[in-house]
Amino acid sequence: MSTLQQGGGRISIRNVTKIYDPDGAKVLAVDDCSLEIAEGEFCVIVGPSGCGKTTLLNALAGFHSITSGEITLDGRAICTPQFTAEPSAERIVVFQNGALFPWYTVLENITYGPEVQGRMGRREAAEQARELLAELGLASIADRYPGEISSGMKRRVEIARALINDPKVLLLDEPFRAMDALTKGVVQEFLLRALDKVRKTVLFITHDLEEALFLGDKVVVMSTRPARVKQTIDVDFPRPRTFRVRSSARYLELKQQVFDAVHEEALKAFDAGEREMA
Amino acid sequence: MNVIKVRKALLSKTVLRGFFSVGGLIVLWQIAASMKLPGFTAVPTPIEVWGVLADSISQAKFWDHWAASFARVLSGFIAAQIIGIPLGLFMAMSRTFYATSFPLLEIMRPIPPLAWVPASIIFWPTTEASIAFVIFLGAFFTVVINVIGSARNIDVRYLRAAQSLGSRPMDIFLRIILPAVLPGIFIGMAVGMGITWEVVVAAEMIAGKSGLGYLTWSSYVGGNYPQIIIGMISIGIAGYISSSLIRLLGHYVTPWQRTS
Repeated sequence: MSTLQQGGGRISIRNVTKIYDPDGAKVLAVDDCSLEIAEGEFCVIVGPSGCGKTTLLNALAGFHSITSGEITLDGRAICTPQFTAEPSAERIVVFQNGALFPWYTVLENITYGPEVQGRMGRREAAEQARELLAELGLASIADRYPGEISSGMKRRVEIARALINDPKVLLLDEPFRAMDALTKGVVQEFLLRALDKVRKTVLFITHDLEEALFLGDKVVVMSTRPARVKQTIDVDFPRPRTFRVRSSARYLELKQQVFDAVHEEALKAFDAGEREMA
Repeated sequence: MNVIKVRKALLSKTVLRGFFSVGGLIVLWQIAASMKLPGFTAVPTPIEVWGVLADSISQAKFWDHWAASFARVLSGFIAAQIIGIPLGLFMAMSRTFYATSFPLLEIMRPIPPLAWVPASIIFWPTTEASIAFVIFLGAFFTVVINVIGSARNIDVRYLRAAQSLGSRPMDIFLRIILPAVLPGIFIGMAVGMGITWEVVVAAEMIAGKSGLGYLTWSSYVGGNYPQIIIGMISIGIAGYISSSLIRLLGHYVTPWQRTS
């Protein structure tokens, strides 16, 4: 895998605002949001549900436009009000509910990217994929269909499917949501191990604060809708990390900080929700 | 599958219950027909039918009827797939085309295929062509509706994931949309095949000179009552063979469906 590694991946989000205007009812989803993510940095965004986190990620991925501001990747504009760069394999998304193609085996899912990009022939892609699967401890399920493997396995395969393309940026939108705590822990460690081997710039969305601290180099707390950056907390645990990080005193300290910031926003979101219902 | 498995499968409760219901029906029929219960006065008994069956199946003519019906079903059914699948895909993918063609489709669809028979006979030069056309219609609408339905239900996550992995539009079509729609196509085929047999039998009764529908109807007209039953059972078996073939084909073409 190290043979594939390409540099780059510095993301700059400057004064981004997004207004949804489906039928004249303007909804401000993201308001003047600015964020810098360094090359190889693991940035976690946390915030109340529906606060506009995903909107930001979708703009970065190329699925949405923005209303004002600018997003650049290594200094190159990829999303402005006039222009949204097509989705591409340099910015790969791993989705909330998983999006492995059920009609392809694990191996075929992984070779999909290299094949459609024309980077590798079928045989070369298959060889690379088998190597990668072996490296990640997934060799035994190479020829299974996604319907035959557990949800934890699926997530691992999906991360492998992204990594084989050697993206500059990995965009993960609550990828481990709705998993039981034990499986979640295993898959989180899997992601960390994979990234220990190849550093990537990561934007990771979650509302699991423990997850945010365990994985991230920095945790960005968003305000309730419209999304603004409320607070940025640097997470200074050394890498490689193991689950033992979670019982350190520093961890509890940081957790308190993040929790305070998020709780305030969660309360606001809750109140706002009640008003809407009334 | 080994011998023990086969024996186990044959002796399973499900299979035994199946035999019990079919056997029970035959016994009740024998009793009702031999006692000449009301409604059963002219109905032949299973034993009489059995006697005529041996005679029927030894005649080449009988198998010609099978072949004729199968040929009609297959040609109409395949034509419906060849035209219906691309049409359904195109309707699902082009908004303009959908808006233009859907109302037309929805007006035509509720018309039962058999209501097309007179118009079809007037329009097509031969009876055979008009029967083929009616059979085609029987499967066609089901196919189109199923393809549209499953193409429109493709989860947007798959499309986005494919884009994100660097797909070109052609890849999205061939490697995402087509396989995603396949299970729906096979459901459409299975339902369409059932309709096709209903239609072919009725069309043969009205306008045919051969086929299992014709055999059944002409047996009635000719007063050969046991043969009516043989015709009916033949139609049942033929339909069962057809839908089994579809299931088998689906099994091989969509291997991932066996698991989930």
